[in-house]
Amino acid sequence: MTPTVRRVAVVGGNRIPFARSNGPYAHASNSDMLAAALDGLIERYNLQGETLGEVVAGAVLKHPRDRDLTREVVLGSKLAPETPAYDVQQACGTGLETTIAVANKIALGQIDAGIAGGVDTTSDAPLALNDDLREVLLDANRIPDTAGRLKLLTRLRPGMIKPAIPANQEPRTGLSMGEHCAIMASEWGITREAQDELTIRSHNALAAAYDKGFQDDLLTPYLGLERDQNLRPGSTPEKLAKLKPVFGGPEGTMTAANSTPLSDGASVVLLASEEWAKARNLPILAYITEAQTAAIDHVHKREGLLMAPAYAMPTMLDRAGITLQDFDVYEIHEAFAAQVLCTLAAWEDPVFCKERLGRSAPLGSIDTEKLNINGGSLAAGHPFAATGGRIVAGLAKELSERGSGRGVISICAAAGQGVVAILESAGGAK
Amino acid sequence: MATRELSGPPSILPLYAKAALPMIPGASLLPFVPGSGKDVPELELVMPEVTFDAKSLAAYNRVCGFTLRDAVPSTYIHVLAFPLHMALMGEPNFPFGAVGLVHVNNTITQHRPVSMSETLSIKVTASKLRPHAKGKQFDMVAQAKAGRTIVWEGVSTYLRLGKGDPSLKVQHEKVEDPPVSATWRLEGGLGRRYAGASGDRNPIHLYDLTAKPLGFNKAIIHGMWTKARCLAALESVLPDAYKVDVQFRKPIPLPSKVTFGEEISKDGIRFAVRNARKGTPHLDGTVVQVAAKKR
Repeated sequence: MTPTVRRVAVVGGNRIPFARSNGPYAHASNSDMLAAALDGLIERYNLQGETLGEVVAGAVLKHPRDRDLTREVVLGSKLAPETPAYDVQQACGTGLETTIAVANKIALGQIDAGIAGGVDTTSDAPLALNDDLREVLLDANRIPDTAGRLKLLTRLRPGMIKPAIPANQEPRTGLSMGEHCAIMASEWGITREAQDELTIRSHNALAAAYDKGFQDDLLTPYLGLERDQNLRPGSTPEKLAKLKPVFGGPEGTMTAANSTPLSDGASVVLLASEEWAKARNLPILAYITEAQTAAIDHVHKREGLLMAPAYAMPTMLDRAGITLQDFDVYEIHEAFAAQVLCTLAAWEDPVFCKERLGRSAPLGSIDTEKLNINGGSLAAGHPFAATGGRIVAGLAKELSERGSGRGVISICAAAGQGVVAILESAGGAK
Repeated sequence: MATRELSGPPSILPLYAKAALPMIPGASLLPFVPGSGKDVPELELVMPEVTFDAKSLAAYNRVCGFTLRDAVPSTYIHVLAFPLHMALMGEPNFPFGAVGLVHVNNTITQHRPVSMSETLSIKVTASKLRPHAKGKQFDMVAQAKAGRTIVWEGVSTYLRLGKGDPSLKVQHEKVEDPPVSATWRLEGGLGRRYAGASGDRNPIHLYDLTAKPLGFNKAIIHGMWTKARCLAALESVLPDAYKVDVQFRKPIPLPSKVTFGEEISKDGIRFAVRNARKGTPHLDGTVVQVAAKKR
């Protein structure tokens, strides 16, 4: 039996303003923030008591106690408790990957509507027991007699009090994401000036989006925050030039400004079949028409850790039968300004496109005036799993306001992965 | 009625010392010690600018089981009003000290959800004394306004044990307990954790040793914790505007294992807390929807 494939509508999204680590959301847990983002979505689209096909969300930094994080948040929400839910974790790709997961089930007719999302806190981070202490305690549990257990006490050391702190580090290379990106920036010859310029554009574009009310139906205030805390409009190249590099050594080009800060936040997106949305008089902002995930080998083949979207893109374009230039809006997640610029450079580079992507011609360049036009992660901040939902909702709204056109999303993730997707305006591609 | 405005919440610990002093025979003759009055004084205490602090709210929500949403739990506004209760009961012409009073009933009306970024003004007055089967009772009546709108009201009924009117004994209706939906294990230190989060450091809640002189064998959990825990369990089914009324029955000694029962109908929600083993009644409550006020 071949299932019919249905169009998948983006009805809308909601998020809480993103906060800097240990800022206004310092005492909020992942469940709290995801619940707050979900509450606002339920309110905006009248989903009280509604049984949805599925809610899929996730967090990158997750406490072991948060088993079925998303399901528990659904149970505490005004959605019908009969709404199933599950968690996904794919580093910074989480938010877009959950969107794809829900969209695919809708496309196949397995569900009619669902919510995708993500949340992350770097403030309320999961500290684990020191691994040595954990082993002693587990051994104690395995030993039946008290004498044997007492003997184990001799293995305890004062240093074991130190908890295990989650590190922003690649397990197989020992380098942080920033250090990996600094290698990429140096290989692709990305200048400090270009990175700072992209950063300033991001802040100014997000500030303009707030000023014209673009964000009004994309977020709900939370714990006193009404705008993203990281947003700093009106910065100048001179000011940014004064910052010291934080990655890549003293000669490095990456600073605290042109890299995203550790952030806290949550986002959710409501997806549905056309029939479901129309039956409830809900808007259709855009359709999700394509998606692709790719991974590269940053361990043995020395690929740039955050270059996987460069690989995912051509596969998706070929399947859609379009070129990189056939978009009206580009949303490339600004994990680091350098990541965006490396990706664009790779698509322009004939050698990379031939040798790595196996293509006779490069994908070519894009009109950067169409890039991250309502601001990106550098300005908004980047709570890992929440970024995808922010971008999907924002792009869908932008396409809806234009009335026609096509947009593309590209998100890099830790562990050498990348997720890309295409959204088309409900008015059709131009 | 006299009104006194306070610029900030009065400090609770000295108030407790004051509240306990009347227990010493003759102390009430001193001018600053409560106990000289015959009836509850006609006085209104007002805190005009009450704001929320995310850290304190998060600590409260965590110990009670609430999700940290932008809307604050209705029981948290009681926590903000509580220092005014204590200050009023600490007045020299208050007929007795607050320590030893039994919280028998609490009714909260939330007229609309209150956001943690709002500023409230809170005022507290007390009703006249009236007879009770086991002594005398009175209400502490609290009201919270956002601008000119009353957004929240709370009525706490306290009992002063003594010579009562036995004809007023309440016959508990023989209604079946609502079906049990959850079991809660209350750990020994829960009273101290809630005391830290709420500011209510009444010694009967802290340690067995500090509860004993006041007539309890073990420390007991705050009634308002139990009420808050019930509302947290009901968070997904509470309307935006509601009246929640609870009757505190037998205190819950710590540690304890209790059951929570709930019954949701078109008329509202009925809920109850019982001892998990013996079925001792601890709390009976109802939630009914009220007309919501606009923001």
